[in-house]
Amino acid sequence: MCFRNLPIEIDERGQMHLREDAEVAYGLRDRPQSSGPRPLSDEQVRDLVARNGYIKDVDFDPVTRVAGALAFHAVADLKERRMITTNSMATLFRGYEVIMLGRDPRDAIFITSRACGVCGGVHSVTSCMALEMALGLAPPPLGIVVRNLMLAMEFNYDHPLHLFLLAGPDYSRILVEQTNPEVWDKAQTCPAPGRAWHGYETIGQIMEDLNPLAGKLYVEALHMTRVAREAYVVLGGKYPHPETIVPGGVSTTVSLQTFNEFYVRLQKFFDYAKKMVAIWDDLTGFFYAANPLYQQVGTRPKNLMDVGIWDDADAYDASYAHCDQWGERRWSTPGAIMDGQLVTTKLTALNAGLEEFVERSYYDPWTGRRFVTDPLGNPLSPYHPWNKETKPKPVGQNWKEKYSWSCAPRWDRQASEAGAYARLWITAAAQKIPANPFIEATGTSLRFKVPKSALPEVELEWKIPAVWNAFERNRARAYAVAFNSLVAMNDWLKGLDLLRQGKTEVSTPFEIPKKGTRIGAGFWGAGRGWLTHHLVLDDGLVANYQIVTPSTINASPRDPWDHLGPYEEAVMNTPILETFDDPAKFKGIDILRTIRSFDPCMPCTTHIFAGDQVISREVNTCACGAEE
Amino acid sequence: MRTLIAGVGYSNLSDLSVGPIVAEQLRREAWPESVEVDDLSYGPIAVVHRFAEAAPPYERLVLVGAADRLAKPARVCCYRWAGVLPPAEEVQARVAEAVTGIIDLDNLLVVAGQFRALPEEVFVVEVQPVVTEFGMELGPDVAALLPHVCRLCRRLALEGDYAATANCGQG
Repeated sequence: MCFRNLPIEIDERGQMHLREDAEVAYGLRDRPQSSGPRPLSDEQVRDLVARNGYIKDVDFDPVTRVAGALAFHAVADLKERRMITTNSMATLFRGYEVIMLGRDPRDAIFITSRACGVCGGVHSVTSCMALEMALGLAPPPLGIVVRNLMLAMEFNYDHPLHLFLLAGPDYSRILVEQTNPEVWDKAQTCPAPGRAWHGYETIGQIMEDLNPLAGKLYVEALHMTRVAREAYVVLGGKYPHPETIVPGGVSTTVSLQTFNEFYVRLQKFFDYAKKMVAIWDDLTGFFYAANPLYQQVGTRPKNLMDVGIWDDADAYDASYAHCDQWGERRWSTPGAIMDGQLVTTKLTALNAGLEEFVERSYYDPWTGRRFVTDPLGNPLSPYHPWNKETKPKPVGQNWKEKYSWSCAPRWDRQASEAGAYARLWITAAAQKIPANPFIEATGTSLRFKVPKSALPEVELEWKIPAVWNAFERNRARAYAVAFNSLVAMNDWLKGLDLLRQGKTEVSTPFEIPKKGTRIGAGFWGAGRGWLTHHLVLDDGLVANYQIVTPSTINASPRDPWDHLGPYEEAVMNTPILETFDDPAKFKGIDILRTIRSFDPCMPCTTHIFAGDQVISREVNTCACGAEE
Repeated sequence: MRTLIAGVGYSNLSDLSVGPIVAEQLRREAWPESVEVDDLSYGPIAVVHRFAEAAPPYERLVLVGAADRLAKPARVCCYRWAGVLPPAEEVQARVAEAVTGIIDLDNLLVVAGQFRALPEEVFVVEVQPVVTEFGMELGPDVAALLPHVCRLCRRLALEGDYAATANCGQG
């Protein structure tokens, strides 16, 4: 059974039915099953803090000087080396849902693109897909191929950037030497098994080159992000915020020459993927061996969800009626993993199980359930995005009540995480990836046949991990570079074939109907996972627009049943392995590694408060050189 | 001398959006072939790539944007950037912000400076914002300064006028 909390049954035709009256079915009284941790109550925490000098408030506060968007609060017992309670706070109201109301839906492509400063192209595509579904508008095959190629390279921009510029420094010599000198001591002499691919004799040498700003791996990643951007721009004209993504395809001109220019960049990622995988395999193995407790850093239930990405050019017709069919033909299969088990690969089920809650967020609840079912008659919750209304209501922060501008998206009322790793996991387990020469899903792993470039051809295998934690998130993200690159390779070959056949159309004309109601959903992905846009059009204008981003999912606060969001869960489960004699010198590296492993697209780390001790990276904002 | 005038800042945040608004205004004006106007209101890492790709490279950059220095409201300040970088740990923090989408004048200078992507001559025109709420228009104080800021940018771009930098606060 796909759902275990929502009372939805699926008959033999795949039609969903509610077992109970809707009011009961979608009521908030019954507590859903959850295998996540349970924090202490606020009263218990206050009592502990009052009685125990080792218990400290730890705040990872936002970047206040510019636009900090995420803050993390935790109470840590530094003596027992465990977390007591955690709160993830989105500190900014972005409000795209409000901005979009009453607008021409074509504006959404350009406006919602700005929803993220990291993901420069994904929102444009997702927005177009929502409109395509609403209008019944299918792009031509080459238009689909070009989108796939662009998005694969956008992810190849994102993942190295995260692994070496953001997460990498947490594993660098500079950081490890400070926070865990005993680990650094081991690293200096520990041989690196992947030497043939990355060239490093020891783990210590890898850590040395992970050093921020000057480390070779850091600088190399900066360069490779440029290569990925160039590849994107060859096809898309501009990145970030391309203007060539249009409903019904793309507006770019593609030719054999542009495909060749793209390939020159793509093939550089074949070797880079081999190197990245070897580095993150080696780092992960080393940390596990250095201290097995590292396997608990960032652990949480194996609940992951993703709507899939990269359409089969011969299958995608943009319709909701066929979304289960074209969804399962994607290079990255849609699905939900609950407690480690794949429970669905149907986009209709993922859509029906999606709800957003605002009980702990700075929004007023809404009433009404305009859409009782989806276009196929499957039941929809009143908390579903097509029914949601965004009603911002800023109030004072209160851990027991409201503390975040993020709402709490849940699937089947479970806190599930989004990420590049969800793509790998679901695709591996589902074994629905179309036949191709480069990627094979075995049910327990994904095998990547990475072509020869300067380095020889190699078969890489990402295995569904036995433990789920911060290290595995990063390791999977490295393998995702191989996945992205080989999806691009498949699409590149498909594109050449289409050009050869003279099928050069890249878009389908369309008009916005001025009368009637239409709904659509863009099911797509960002570098860090699940991305959906739900759209309602009334008489040609936007009547509702709801965006669910991966960071909204991962950074979500508690839900109506007090279940923690993914960041909150992962940090709650994290042991404090950092070495310190004096609590005042506590840096919180294990917590930072945990939060960063999700690749948050919101800046989160500037200063740390530990009780009355402040560890701060305060910044002088003035760059003036000749100010009066 | 290949020159770029660029606005930096978020859109639709009233005075905080003065950079993109000035860039938009300057785009409509006539310029010699050697001067380009652009909006660099995106991640500084992407801006680093933008400069790295420029062929021939830019020799002069005029950056304009809002910066809250707790100064006199609507003060206009222009200066030649000295290229002094903060300590490495702070630079890394700014890179992290840049990567996660922060759009900010200081971050752009520090990140692009760190990776030696900036032209030889960099002039900065800063405006102390007054109205910082959501809004598609500038507040009245900064709106009144717009012609002055545009003239300043033109003068710096065309003449590299060091004297202009001595006239901070003339707005």
